[in-house]
Parts: sequence; C-alpha cells; structure tokens
Amino acid sequence: MNDMRLTERKVDSKEIKIEARDVQVFYGDTHAIKDVNVDILDKTVTAFIGPSGCGKSTFLRTLNRMNDTIDICRVEGAINLDGEDIYDKRVDPVQLRAKVGMVFQKPNPFPKSIYDNVAYGPRIHGLAQSKADLDEIVERSLRGAAIWNEVKDRLHAPGTGLSGGQQQRLCIARAVATSPEVLLMDEPCSALDPIATGQVEDLIDELREKFSVVIVTHSMQQAARVSQRTAFFHLGNLVEYGETGQIFTNPTDPRTESYITGRIG
Amino acid sequence: MTDATVSPEKTPKRSSLHTASDRTKKRNASETRFKAMGIGAIALGIFFLIVLLVSIISNGIGAYQQTYLQVPVYLDPAKLDKNGNRDPADIAKVSTFGYTPLIQAGLLSAVQDANIDTPLQTARDMKNLISASAANVVRQDVVSDPNLIGQTVTFKLLASSRVDGYLKGRVTREGVAEDKNINVDQLDLTDKLVDAGIAAKGFNWAFITGSDASESRAEQAGIGTSMLGSLFMMLVVLGLSLPIGVAASIYLEEFAPQNRWTDIIEVNISNLAAVPSIVFGILGLSVFIQFMHLPQSAPLVGGLVLTLMTLPTIIISTRASLKAVPPSIRDAALGIGASKMQSVFHHVLPLAMPGILTGTIIGLAQALGETAPLLLIGMIGYIATNPPGNLIDGFMAPNSAMPAQIYEWAKRADPAYYERAWGGIIILLLFLLSMNIIAIILRRKFERRW
Repeated sequence: MNDMRLTERKVDSKEIKIEARDVQVFYGDTHAIKDVNVDILDKTVTAFIGPSGCGKSTFLRTLNRMNDTIDICRVEGAINLDGEDIYDKRVDPVQLRAKVGMVFQKPNPFPKSIYDNVAYGPRIHGLAQSKADLDEIVERSLRGAAIWNEVKDRLHAPGTGLSGGQQQRLCIARAVATSPEVLLMDEPCSALDPIATGQVEDLIDELREKFSVVIVTHSMQQAARVSQRTAFFHLGNLVEYGETGQIFTNPTDPRTESYITGRIG
Repeated sequence: MTDATVSPEKTPKRSSLHTASDRTKKRNASETRFKAMGIGAIALGIFFLIVLLVSIISNGIGAYQQTYLQVPVYLDPAKLDKNGNRDPADIAKVSTFGYTPLIQAGLLSAVQDANIDTPLQTARDMKNLISASAANVVRQDVVSDPNLIGQTVTFKLLASSRVDGYLKGRVTREGVAEDKNINVDQLDLTDKLVDAGIAAKGFNWAFITGSDASESRAEQAGIGTSMLGSLFMMLVVLGLSLPIGVAASIYLEEFAPQNRWTDIIEVNISNLAAVPSIVFGILGLSVFIQFMHLPQSAPLVGGLVLTLMTLPTIIISTRASLKAVPPSIRDAALGIGASKMQSVFHHVLPLAMPGILTGTIIGLAQALGETAPLLLIGMIGYIATNPPGNLIDGFMAPNSAMPAQIYEWAKRADPAYYERAWGGIIILLLFLLSMNIIAIILRRKFERRW
C-alpha cells in the first residue's frame, strides 16, 4: 500500500468541532447505532470506515440531522457542535444544515444551470448583497471545488450536462458556497471513475484548510489517502477511533485488524 | 447431490441448431399468435375510431351549412310607423307580427320578379319557406336605424328548417305528404329559388356563435351561448381545483406524517375518483342550491360541482408526479440548508410540473364533457337563448353547457336538431383535442432531465 502516504497525514488541529456522546439511533425497533462517542477535530479529515450496514452513513446523517426526514428514525444522546447540542429543541435543523453541509453518494445537481446550482445556497441564506457579490461567491466556490476552469465558459449551461466527476465537484462547490464549518461527505466517490476520484480526493485535502471534513467511504485505501483520523464502525458500534496511520498499521482491536486485512466486510 | 448419480447414458442427445426443436416451435407459434392478437386488437380499435369519426363528421357537417334567402323587403311606413314621425319609441312598439307579412310579401315579389312559374301566388304561401326568426332580424335592423323605413332593403334571411333540410336531402317529397309545415309546391319553388340564386347555402357562423332556439326554429339554434357556459364553468374548475388539488397533494406527499389518518384520507381520495358523477350532482344540488341558495342552472354551481369531481383526478396525478421526483433532489436541497418548503417549491414542484399540468388538463377535459351532474343542478333542459351580458352574469345567470346542449338537441323532435347535436359534438371534440394538444405541448416544454 504505497499510495497510502500515511506519513503526510498529520493532525494539525486539536480543537474539537463536533463532540458525540453516547449516541443511539433507532429505526423503529432496530437499534442502528449503539453508544457512539466521537470527537471530530476542526480542520481535519475524519474518515468513517466499516462494512456495509455498519451504521457509518446513519451516524454521518445524524451530524446534520438529515435523519429528521425519516419518520421512524429516533436519535438519543448528545451531539455538540462547538459545544452546542444540535438536538436541542431550540435548534432549527435548517440553520444547522447551513453550518454543516453535505455531499451525497450520487452526484445530485439541481436540474438548473451550473451558476444557479452554486448560487442557490447563498441566495436562500441571504449571503450575497448584490449580483457582483453572488458572482464572486460562485466563482470562489467553483475554484474551491477545482472545477472553475472546466465550467467558467458555460456557467449557464445545465449542471446535469456535466460528467459524473464534474457533477460531484459541482455538488461540492454548491456545499462550499454556503460557507459551512463542517462538510459531511457520504461516499462521495463511489459513483466516480478512478480519475474523477483522484480529483475529488485532492480536493478534499485542500478543503481541510478551511473546514472540518467527515467522509464516509467503503474504500480503505481512500480513507488512508485522504484522512488524518479514522473511525471504524462495525454492527452499529464504534470499534476503534484514532490517527489514520495508527488504525491502518497498528490497530488495537482484533475486529479492526480483521477488517483492514480483508477478513470481514 | 443427485447429479452425481446420473449415468452417462442418460445425457440428452446432441441436437442440431439448424432444426428447431418441438419446444422452440411451440414457443414461436405462441409468440406469433400473441402478436397477431395484439395487432388485431389495435386494428379493431382504429377501425372503430374511424367509424366514429366518419359518422360524427358526416352527420354533423351539415350543421355548419345553412340555407339563406335573399329577400328584398319593402319596409312599409304605413305598417311600421303609423304616425310618420320616425319616433324610435313608436317604432319599437311594432312587434315581429308587424314584420312577418312584409317579409312574405317581399319574397313573393322576388319570386314574381324572377319570373318563376309556381302555383303559389299569395304572400301567405311563402310563410313556410322563411324561418320564424326572420321577422326579428328585420325588426332589429329597423329599430336600430329608423331611416330604413320607406326603402326596399335586401335582407339575408334564414330559410325554414324544412327548406334547409330539403336542400340537404333530409326532407324528401315522399315524406312531406303528412307534414303541415311544408308542401310539395313549396319544395318545387325551393328548387327554382336555388336556380334563381335567391336561396343559397352558406357557412353557418351563427351555429358557432349563436344561442339555442325554441323547438320550432331549429335553423336558428347555435352552440355559442352554451360554449360560454362551459367556458365559465371551466374557469371555476381551473381556479378552484388546481390550487386546492396541488396544495392538498403537496401537503399529503411532502409534509403529512404517515399515520392512520393520512392512510384513511388517501384511500378516500382514491375512492372519490371512482364515485359516479351523478352523485356529485346530487351533492351539488343539496349543498350549493338548496342549502347555500346559489342560483339554479348557473355555471358557478356547475363549476363547483365539477371541481369536486375533478379534485381527486388532480390530486392523484399530482401525487404521482411528486413521487416521481428523485429523493436525491430533496436531499440536495435540504443538505445545503433549504427549508422543507423551499426544497418543495424551488426544486420538487418545478420538476413535477409537467405531470401536474397534464393531470389538470385531463381532469378539465373530463369535466368539460361531463353531463350527468349538470342534470341535477338544472343546466340540462335550460334553453340558453341569450348570451350572458357581463362577467358576473357569465357565472351567475342561468346557462347551459356544451354537453348539456348536445343532449338537449338530441332529444328534440325536429330532425334538424339531430344534425345540430352531431355538429355540437364536433365542436366538443375539437375542444378536447386542443386541450390534449396543450397538455402535450406543456409537458414537452417543462420536461427536464436529471
């Protein structure tokens, strides 16, 4: 695994962005997430790995309350963003999601122009005072998502006309445009080819300078390549959480070792 | 592991690919039979469609042609303005009975001027040739311009429905023996009038723009007023059922919790779509007319009843098209901090629009052709002889509707009305056709890929 470049990935920040304490998630009678405690650091890429159905995506969706849209889903425990409980009654999930952005597994641009895709978030949150402001936000976000050069001449072409990798970077630009503090990515590369995956991974590394990034991935290589910290989930439990280098080279739990060596999952 | 026990002798014989096996032949034969049945079914459908269209058009096309007479009428001052002072009030006192003899005399003089040889030599003999509506046409002109009195003015007047029917082949010489409305001499005269250019067929605009007429004046009846009745009803239906239906479906589909109550509502909406329309008619009668005291036969009430009938159709199609919008679009909007309502109105609704519009137009088309509920609120049987004077009258004054008008004509005794019923059906079908074309155009225009 030469491409893992583990030595490059050092955690620079010690500041805790999201703090999860004893989080339980239920779908009806199914106990999907059990007693998860995690501290997600600022300006860090945190990877969630684990076999299918282990609850890593479910847990990711609790971080911006996307699970609220599922009627039978119930969350217990505390998740604090900068020390504030996001499941508090006073919290409007809409405001939360402006701070905690999300990129989905399948690229899902709106069937509108590239410009409107990116401008939508700033528009509804009132981030731009003028057309020039908005233009600037759109350009900055598209540059931030490393797609500006490819689309600058056709900003008013439909976003759905782009290739899969471009669409996913457009979705990242759209998420970045609202200036979130945390960016959640749910298997952002699973629908992409290796070249597009490489572009998105490079992008994730750049994004870390500005936000805390949490990425769910099926690919252990990807986790090793892009993250500083890794959490391994298994059957709804958080088995092990630590520095990526340590998880991949010297796991403490036998289940983690089995998974990364390919015996389970 | 039974496979292991199969002995080598029992392996099937190798067969050639160049000969079809019995099983293959059977399968191919059944496939051919199925295809033939499918083609047969479609051919049968097309055949009946053609039969329908041919019979409608051949029966109804006659309504668009009408026989007119060019009659020079001497507007006798002695009859129309006895005081001789051209006072509009005095002229208006002369009823149509005062004009009828003048018109008959006018036609007689036209016959004599053209040197037509006929045993009919009195003005009264001309009576059955001219439509009863003619006197009113002449009177209207005279009342609006009294200076015409004293002149001989040539009017283009409707021929009676018997004359018209004779020229269209509906009335035959054998058939008139028992008919007190026309006789063989008058039919002979009709032929000669045509030769002389006094009687001629022309395009019947009055059928499209005019109002219904009494039973004895089939030649005068038109569908225009009931078309207006249908138009005002459709305005009510569109104005109420589209916003209510779309709002209800958005709430049920996007906001409502999934529980027993919403399940019950859902089942009931589906059931309402299958309720016979006459049930909505009796509901409209008891609620809108007997309880709320809205006027009878009014397009407003018709529209309200048809709204009730159209709502389930719109709700069902709107919910289906909302369901068809991929959930990833909703996730995307929520994921960047749009509220539920923003995600629905900015993203989901525009994508569902083609489906909603198609459903709405199909619901409207259904409502446009609906007859049974109108029976109970008095729009069938009402003789719409005058177009509504203003917008409020359009909604509140009694009127008929196109399908009601067609039904009304179809049950009248005069065969001239039968022809008009078919003619009305042509117009109704044209309306439905254009609504469906609009639905297709809108769907094409709003359709987006994702």
